[in-house]
Amino acid sequence: MADEEMRMKNILLAGIIAVLATGAFAHSAMDETTPAHETVLAEAPAEVVMNFLHDIRLTRVSLTHADHAPVDLDLSAYKGMEIDFTVPMQPMGSGAYVIDWRGLGADGHAMTGSFSFVVE
Amino acid sequence: MPDIWGLAAIITKVALYLGILTAVGTVIVALVFKTDRYIGPALTFAVLGLVAAVLSFSLGGANLTGDASGMTDPEMLGLLWGTSVGTALLCRVVGLGLLIAGLFMGRSGLVLSSVGGGVALWSFSLVSHVSARDTALLDGALVLHLGAVAFWLGILIPLKRLAAVPAHWPMAADLGHRFGIVARGVIPALIVAGVYLGYMLVGSIAALLGTGYGQAMILKVLFVVGLLALGAANKLRFIPALKAGDPHAAGHLSRSISIEWGVILAVLTVTAVLTSTLALPT
Repeated sequence: MADEEMRMKNILLAGIIAVLATGAFAHSAMDETTPAHETVLAEAPAEVVMNFLHDIRLTRVSLTHADHAPVDLDLSAYKGMEIDFTVPMQPMGSGAYVIDWRGLGADGHAMTGSFSFVVE
Repeated sequence: MPDIWGLAAIITKVALYLGILTAVGTVIVALVFKTDRYIGPALTFAVLGLVAAVLSFSLGGANLTGDASGMTDPEMLGLLWGTSVGTALLCRVVGLGLLIAGLFMGRSGLVLSSVGGGVALWSFSLVSHVSARDTALLDGALVLHLGAVAFWLGILIPLKRLAAVPAHWPMAADLGHRFGIVARGVIPALIVAGVYLGYMLVGSIAALLGTGYGQAMILKVLFVVGLLALGAANKLRFIPALKAGDPHAAGHLSRSISIEWGVILAVLTVTAVLTSTLALPT
């Protein structure tokens, strides 16, 4: 009986590991961003622009900077489904900036993604 | 790699699939083969499906905020309720409610339970990748596929229960034999519907081999091939041996069913990942 249970656990574990290792995760439908992903800038921008392939309701966008605690960006200008978003951000000096976003697609799927840029 | 909320959503979805499919399958098998002692398993798995459906909806809110507050955030849950996710939750609650109500009405209630089960199965066509294609044929293929899977799952509990008691071995052999006859039509339907859905969603050999979605689909198919092999062993070896009075056959059948449950959990896990986090090939 213990062998059977172990066999079942191994089968399940193998399945989970194999699938989680396949990459290309998230129902991400991001088209492009400004600044673009992994861009190096001379000066920190005052806003980030996110363009999606399909309508999405952004529910949370947070900014993480090396020297500061993560902050949520203001999405109050957007209350419905949109394709293009321009979100103001507070420049925090030089270093790496990471933008994490979450949203709801029109089909009900939750979507997540992130992009980053560096200010010299 | 999904975050903690994505992983929680996948685990909950596995419970949702297991709950709804096994509850519906138990009811179908009780209706078709007139098996007894179906109320306990059907009720248990229907309640599992209900809890998982509500939790899955709530976790959807957490996925939108990235923290636990989203699970009870009225704005996030209201957003979800306004989409097909909310409609699917409604179908699941109503469908499983009808299924449970039917369980308390005796054998005649099995018809009501089956109708409720059909509504619960239909909910998947509202929120899967199939829903984005908006064709009735795809929706129908998905419900047919799920109905056939449910039928398969539904036989496992009564068959294993009967195989556990020597006095019930003739009944187990008879049930397995009758299931094998019906399965001649159901399993091909399951495969044809599955291949059609896979082809429509993946679209090409290149996408099948070159994308995460396609590779996960291949993994799922490999598990299903294993299930078919186990099912064939049951039908062609263990059930005939049980019918012939072989005292070891019941043990082999019981072990085979236990392994089937393990592989089924693997299939459901891959499916949950496919429908939760992997993007369709474009």
